Amino acid sequence: MSLTLTCPICGKRNGYEFRYGGEDKGPRPAEEGLSPRSWCEYVHMNKCVAGVQKEWWFHRDGCGTWFTTHRNTLTNLEVEEPEATS
Amino acid sequence: MNRLNNLPTLRINPSEKLTLKYKGRTFQGVSGDTVATALFANGVRVFARSLKYHRPRGLYSLDGECSNTCMEVDGLPNVRTENTLLKDGVTVKEQNVVGSADRDMMGFMDKLDWMMPAGFYYKTLHKPAWVWPLAMKQVRKTAGLGAISPDFRIKGRYDEIYPKADVCVIGGGAAGMSAALAAAESGRRVILLEARPWLGGCFDYRSAPYEDGRPLYERARELATQVRETPNIRVFTQAPVIGVYNNNLITAFQTGGPEDSFTERYIQIRAAGLVVAAGCIERPLLFDNNERPGVMQVGCAHRLARTYGLLPGTQAVFSVGHDLGLEAAIDLFDLGLKISCVADIREDGQNPELLLGLKERKIAFLRGWVATDVEGGKSIKKAHLSTVDGTISKSFECDVLIASAGLTPVTGPVTVAQGKTAYDHHTGYFLVTETPKGMHVAGRMTGLNHCRSIEASGRLAGLQAVADCGLDRAADIDAAEKTLAMLPGPERGAKLVTAPVKGRKTFICFDEDTTIKNIKQAIEMGFDVPELIKRFTSAGTGPGQGGIPGHNLPLYVAKYEALDTKPPKPTTVRAPLTPTLIAAYAGANHDMHKRTPAHHIQKAAGGVFRRIGVWRRARYFSQDFTCREEILNVRNNVGMLDASTLGKFRVHGPDALKALQRVYVSDIAKLKEGRVKYSAMCNDDGCVIDDGVIVKQGENDYYLTTSTARAGATAEWFRYHTRYEGWNFAVVNLTDAMGVVNISGPNARKVLEKVVDADISNEAFPFSGYREFTVAGAVPVRAMRLGFVGELSYELHVGASYMPTLWKIIEEAGKEFGIQPFGVEAQNVLRMEKCHIILGQESEQRTNLLDVGLGFLWDRKKTDAKTVGAAALKQTEGDTGRLTLVGFQMEDSARAPRDGSIIVDNRVRGYVCTARRSFSLNEAVGMALVDSQLSDIGTRLEIFEDECNGQRLYCKVVPKPFYDPEGKRMKM
Repeated sequence: MSLTLTCPICGKRNGYEFRYGGEDKGPRPAEEGLSPRSWCEYVHMNKCVAGVQKEWWFHRDGCGTWFTTHRNTLTNLEVEEPEATS
Repeated sequence: MNRLNNLPTLRINPSEKLTLKYKGRTFQGVSGDTVATALFANGVRVFARSLKYHRPRGLYSLDGECSNTCMEVDGLPNVRTENTLLKDGVTVKEQNVVGSADRDMMGFMDKLDWMMPAGFYYKTLHKPAWVWPLAMKQVRKTAGLGAISPDFRIKGRYDEIYPKADVCVIGGGAAGMSAALAAAESGRRVILLEARPWLGGCFDYRSAPYEDGRPLYERARELATQVRETPNIRVFTQAPVIGVYNNNLITAFQTGGPEDSFTERYIQIRAAGLVVAAGCIERPLLFDNNERPGVMQVGCAHRLARTYGLLPGTQAVFSVGHDLGLEAAIDLFDLGLKISCVADIREDGQNPELLLGLKERKIAFLRGWVATDVEGGKSIKKAHLSTVDGTISKSFECDVLIASAGLTPVTGPVTVAQGKTAYDHHTGYFLVTETPKGMHVAGRMTGLNHCRSIEASGRLAGLQAVADCGLDRAADIDAAEKTLAMLPGPERGAKLVTAPVKGRKTFICFDEDTTIKNIKQAIEMGFDVPELIKRFTSAGTGPGQGGIPGHNLPLYVAKYEALDTKPPKPTTVRAPLTPTLIAAYAGANHDMHKRTPAHHIQKAAGGVFRRIGVWRRARYFSQDFTCREEILNVRNNVGMLDASTLGKFRVHGPDALKALQRVYVSDIAKLKEGRVKYSAMCNDDGCVIDDGVIVKQGENDYYLTTSTARAGATAEWFRYHTRYEGWNFAVVNLTDAMGVVNISGPNARKVLEKVVDADISNEAFPFSGYREFTVAGAVPVRAMRLGFVGELSYELHVGASYMPTLWKIIEEAGKEFGIQPFGVEAQNVLRMEKCHIILGQESEQRTNLLDVGLGFLWDRKKTDAKTVGAAALKQTEGDTGRLTLVGFQMEDSARAPRDGSIIVDNRVRGYVCTARRSFSLNEAVGMALVDSQLSDIGTRLEIFEDECNGQRLYCKVVPKPFYDPEGKRMKM
């Protein structure tokens, strides 16, 4: 409820306006030769970082853009500069 | 009772009389009274009985910090009558009593406290196990607060608002008002929240001199006027804060007055800067029988006189620990209260002017003395006092004991937002040491007591909050910091934890009847931190939200454990900081829905509307909900349907085809202009989520429809699944911009031919064709030949504003053929007879494309497109034990099972998706998702239906579709 996100087009808005799109996992793997296991991992497995993660958000009640942002999952605050993660 | 009617500080209007009913009698109050003060004015001293011991309880804090004055008002239980303004004609009742609050038959419980040590529920009453249900019944009868009737319907209007602010200020006292004024100087929008019905805080009722010699209440009114006259400050009074969250999200609720459009409303504010100036409440003094009616806090007694014109009693004893107590004694003496003595916990450190004031009035003053006990039951007769060490004692006759150990800051708004507090040895407070970003604290809650310091800290915090909005106020902040540094800082506070008593009847928490003795017992049992002791003894878990024990509990625990390695640690405060009605959270019951452009026309034609998804749609066109006439008219003649709720999109741009290939399972590259392609979308699990048609209008320019339910999510879906690609295409949602009329039935062509300027013969415009032409020489339409209901059918898409016109044109043209509108239910039956599925009805979360028999849509050669769902479909292809969609025919042709009935043998094997009595076939038919083992033609299925009285229904699996299996009718 208290989350705010910064849309690249509309700026900082209430979290209500957005839909979460999951962790940033990179582009879809090629379908040819894809094993069930690696497909399942791409779709369903998450890192569930306790800290800063890069993730997708959709500005549903706004411009309709998908964008990535960094959020600290421990504080539920968007972070401007992602901390270096090893 | 005679009121002090001429005080300048009054917040009542003595000339405006109001009435209330209590105990069958009609009492009189005045405008501005709370329910509790009106009762007090009529001589009521016992307002309630306590939770466990049924001890009489009276007015104690006048700020809602305990359940002492919780009563039932007009059927609503647990109303804090001390902060509820009196409305004319209300009926008030006491709670948790057998008899009345004055004469409670359960009063004997007080004598049984020896039977109920801390945690006695946990230790007794559960062995043997059958004891508990019996005991529970008794406990529920004797303990508790108000009861609510199951038939209770709350009255009033409830609302919610989300006002915008740059700076929000919590607390409308001197500090809060100064902060708001300072923040407003730069023109930013400021919101000020105040829990009481007026601004002024602790200046409001005091006649002590402000810096320039004027009384404090005049200064408070001056500040309030300035605030009210500043156009960019929006003030909410009677608006206590519920919670404060990340990024300065503040929630509150406001009680409306007689002129307001709401009874209560929820307020949610997001601010860049936040000032918390919530002030202090009093720290209760712990001594024996410290909650008898007649014992009250300093602020309660003082405000009762100054704000409501009611003297708290006739003969008073004061036992205080703060200069505010001495100030109140002097002021109340001047107003006519007789004072036996004033005992101060502190040996020294009092304001000399106040001591002089006491001396001038010949009021006995005892340094280092404290109340230890009071005599009396429903009123007090005598107060026993002793030195703080308990060696010497004295008694005084009195009918009111004004007792308070000092002050305690209201840090809830800070700590719920993850701010930190720490025990401060100078003030004896838990002071805020760390605030979240953008939050600033000010005023009395920072330990300040001097009136100028309070205002200066408010100004500083207000400026800091404006700086959080991105304004450069460094110079002003610097100056304000210097001003504050020159003024008196926090004062030393009294630290006495309890009077020298054993504590059997010393209540640390009034709401839960928790005594000092209970706390000792809990510590002896090994509970070492306040957080655990709170849960074990339930101290601070009542309606007062820890207002009474919040400060004393950690202090007492620290003292009793005598470990100086552990600083006292208060228990966690949680939202709601002030409880409110669920109705306020619920707000008004808005039915937000969409209407199609043909809504009114259908209404006029007798449409019966139902909420379907976000829409209100015409579901029936008569009171016959089987829709017999509507169905037969489509099958034998022609009908028209408003299909405007279909999702409609234009997808165009250089990469439009790539995007379509990604989300649709079919190969869209094969689509020819002038043709309609039916296809479906899956999710990444291969589960089918949507179906619809696609039309190619030009190179990389497509028009497509989705199901009604998916209309809202389709643009998001396209963009989500292409988010890494950087493709150049646009998705335009035309759902609300376009209306759709569907003309279906054997006579459909005859109707349409009359009004179009194009050749629409079966050869020129065949099934699955797409054409653009003009209706009546004026209305441009996009026409598709589809067959959802299984008849010759045209779907006309037009700009929404043309819809009513087009509808009338078609209706007029169809008159000679007997065209009739049909609703969503008729369409549902018609398409079911054709086994055309509706996703969500013939599918659920786990149903994939293959399960519903749409596998033929899937083009498995286009792997380069990375089609959503294709990888998963490949994996599930050989799976056994999935649910499969089958058609079935009932053995009893007159009886269709209800949708959702389950298919059983000795376990659940599937469920009925849609089943109806079919007028076209004279059979009862339907579709069901069943275990694939049961999907062979001819399998007998057993259906269990709710209310079937043990009688199972039987059907057999038959080939799909039921109606016109060759599909000739829609192609004719």
